[in-house]
Amino acid sequence: MRRYSFMLLAGLGLAVPVAHAAPFKCPTTGGDFVFGQEANINTLDQMTSSTISTRNIAMNIYETLMTRDDNNHPILELAASMEEAPDRLTYTFKLRPNIHFHNGKPMTSADVVASFDRYSKVGNQRSTLDNVKSWDAPDASTFVIHMKVVQPTFIEALSSFSVPIVIIPSENRDVAAQQLTNPIGTGPFQLVESVPGSFVKLKRYDAYQPNTSFENRTGFGGYKVACLDTVTFRIVTEPGARVAGLKTGELHAVEDLPTKSLPDLKKDPKITILPLNNWWIQIADPNTSAPPTDNLLVRKAIQAALDMDEIMDAASDGNYRLNVGFQYPNQPSYTDAGKETYNLHNADLAKKYLTEAGYKGEPVILMTNKDYPSMYNAALVMQQQLQAVGINAQMKVVDWPTSVQLMLNTTEGWNFHFTGWGTQPALGALATMQFLVQPNATYKPKGGVDDPEVLAIWKEMNDLPTAEGRQAAFAKMQKLVLEKVYAIPFGSYTKVQGTRANVGGFAPFRIPRMSNVWLTR
Amino acid sequence: MGRVLVQRLGSALPIMLIVSLITFGMIHMIPGDPAIAIAGISATAEQIANIRHDLGLDQPVLTQLWRWYANLLTGDLGRSLLLGQPVVHVMMQRLPVTLALSAYALVLTLTIGLVSGIVAALKQNTWIDQATMVFAMLGISLPNFYLGLLMIILFAVDLGWLPTGGYVALSKDPLGWLATSTMPAISLALLLAGLLARITRSTMLEVLRQDYIRTARAKGLPNHRVVLKHALANALIPITTVVGIIISLLISGSVVTETLFSIPGVGQLLTQAVLNRDYPMVQGGLLITTALLVLVNILVDVCYALLDPRVRYDGA
Repeated sequence: MRRYSFMLLAGLGLAVPVAHAAPFKCPTTGGDFVFGQEANINTLDQMTSSTISTRNIAMNIYETLMTRDDNNHPILELAASMEEAPDRLTYTFKLRPNIHFHNGKPMTSADVVASFDRYSKVGNQRSTLDNVKSWDAPDASTFVIHMKVVQPTFIEALSSFSVPIVIIPSENRDVAAQQLTNPIGTGPFQLVESVPGSFVKLKRYDAYQPNTSFENRTGFGGYKVACLDTVTFRIVTEPGARVAGLKTGELHAVEDLPTKSLPDLKKDPKITILPLNNWWIQIADPNTSAPPTDNLLVRKAIQAALDMDEIMDAASDGNYRLNVGFQYPNQPSYTDAGKETYNLHNADLAKKYLTEAGYKGEPVILMTNKDYPSMYNAALVMQQQLQAVGINAQMKVVDWPTSVQLMLNTTEGWNFHFTGWGTQPALGALATMQFLVQPNATYKPKGGVDDPEVLAIWKEMNDLPTAEGRQAAFAKMQKLVLEKVYAIPFGSYTKVQGTRANVGGFAPFRIPRMSNVWLTR
Repeated sequence: MGRVLVQRLGSALPIMLIVSLITFGMIHMIPGDPAIAIAGISATAEQIANIRHDLGLDQPVLTQLWRWYANLLTGDLGRSLLLGQPVVHVMMQRLPVTLALSAYALVLTLTIGLVSGIVAALKQNTWIDQATMVFAMLGISLPNFYLGLLMIILFAVDLGWLPTGGYVALSKDPLGWLATSTMPAISLALLLAGLLARITRSTMLEVLRQDYIRTARAKGLPNHRVVLKHALANALIPITTVVGIIISLLISGSVVTETLFSIPGVGQLLTQAVLNRDYPMVQGGLLITTALLVLVNILVDVCYALLDPRVRYDGA
């Protein structure tokens, strides 16, 4: 049996704390930290929500057996150790001692069992457990997962923060989906009050036990300490109001600052601008079932015509990085495979492909929305670029829910769907490429039948025993997807955050982490 | 009067039934469903399908309609799909917020609108009249969203007198409520005050030209008694009609203001519900709002009878 406590293991990519400095200590404690959040929060039931707004808050309340560190490697959180059986069909987790829920109840393996029970019924990403035969708790501090089949990527899936399997008290096992209105977790902050549409207030959980295997916060886990007395997530959907709140000091930190306000804010010595690079990949998904984009040569013509700088500049107000493919350059899984297809802006090549395709001016419908201005702007510029090479590109503007529903349910009336892939690329190659296979296949394969080449490589990405092998399969997959134009990634979008100068320890991340953050006086 | 009330309340029932049917039909006709909103932007098709199934959204529309009416008969307006709470509970949380803000805005509207309308009428064709009407036109023309932003920059960022946004419940901290509600109330009130000022002015001008006003002045009554007792009392009937409309506009028109100032009211709630296709919330929320507006109209009818003794509804 292989035992993984905090050892770095290439096979699993488990990360380890290597520093030996003293654990983090709050330079100051106290205060109410007010964060200006851009989106409304619908629920704090983390198991049943994949929205960023929920995760922003809920992941300061809840914890999981395993999570990801700053570099996206799986790390242990509520588990002190994890052992994988030699046949790779059993995973045994030893829980960290003296962990208590916010209601004062000690956390035991019975709670972990209850959490997995609930997740398997209502969890929004319950397919994570598809290959799991059962789970049980031989004693109060041990939790065991039994697999049906070997799944080399299981730990990657288990530690995902997309819809994490958060650990809740066993009494909440049977609460229906979306109904967990009183979130009780083990995290450094606990809920005080939630007023939808206005604010969510958290307070320090005094009995919180930091994970002493680490010296500092990392990713969603690590050594976490609540320096602040309370944290208020104020819902401020209007960008101008967020800027005003940051300038007056009513808000200590905000997300998604509008580009127009940045020159002014940069001059203010009391404000620090924090770019959050690689927030999402701006992307257009083709419909390969509908003419003319069912023709590979037409798709290649479209790909050849595009100038990604222009598209990303308009989409992001200038806050972007050009980026080949589906991972970010700072990730270990990044590859530039297929780069020869990217950012060509070659009108002659586009016209050559169109002639070969026998293109006769059939409309190419770019389906987008104004709920997310970046998607609308990307479509607008793409339309102009396609028209410039003789493609009859037309815009179809609907709202976001309509756009997604049409993309999911019909292959008629649209040729490209504009979106952004954020969480999945951050989770890694496997999570991202899930978009290309059923039931998710965003390129809408004819008859709903996946491209066998895609399926074959997808199998390799999942089943190859080594991380190196799976990474090589991902590179093949990316190259194939770009060559067959099953997706058109434009580039990487930067989200800009800002804090007041009296804020310490706040670092841009996929959620605003409130542990190890303090206010100077 | 009693019979009037019973008649009005009786006619409200079919109105609400029709509204509920139209609301149900329209919200279900719009493409898109709440599962997409709940799932978020990076969700996979599988995540969306799981949510649809969990929420019963994969059932036929007629089944959903039947369930909606069956529950309605028992007084159950359902649960918000997004918030996971009973619609009635959510509305009872949000209504006081909107009603308090609307009441504050109504007081400002009536004060500014009536006073400036009366002054403009009394000082017809003077610079005061013209200045008042320019002010009224400005109020009507400036979008309240833009006005709100300007006020945030001036009163919150530059002067630091008021907070940029947020909400404090009136019951918890009246002064805090006043601070957070003043800018939203002004931005709501100015548009309607401009409207009311113009209507008050024209109505007052009409009344002030009547023979009985000339008679009152000829009798030697002081000017303030002529204006307030004789002219204004008679001008109030058309003004009351407008005030009824203004109350409806304040309740239904708070969407933008609530969004800009992060106020958790009904306007913001229902807008989010429509955008996210939260069917029970839209259906139940609009039903309650409709009931409220019907009630306002009944109160306006009652006010007619109280203001004008010639109006004899119950005897007619």
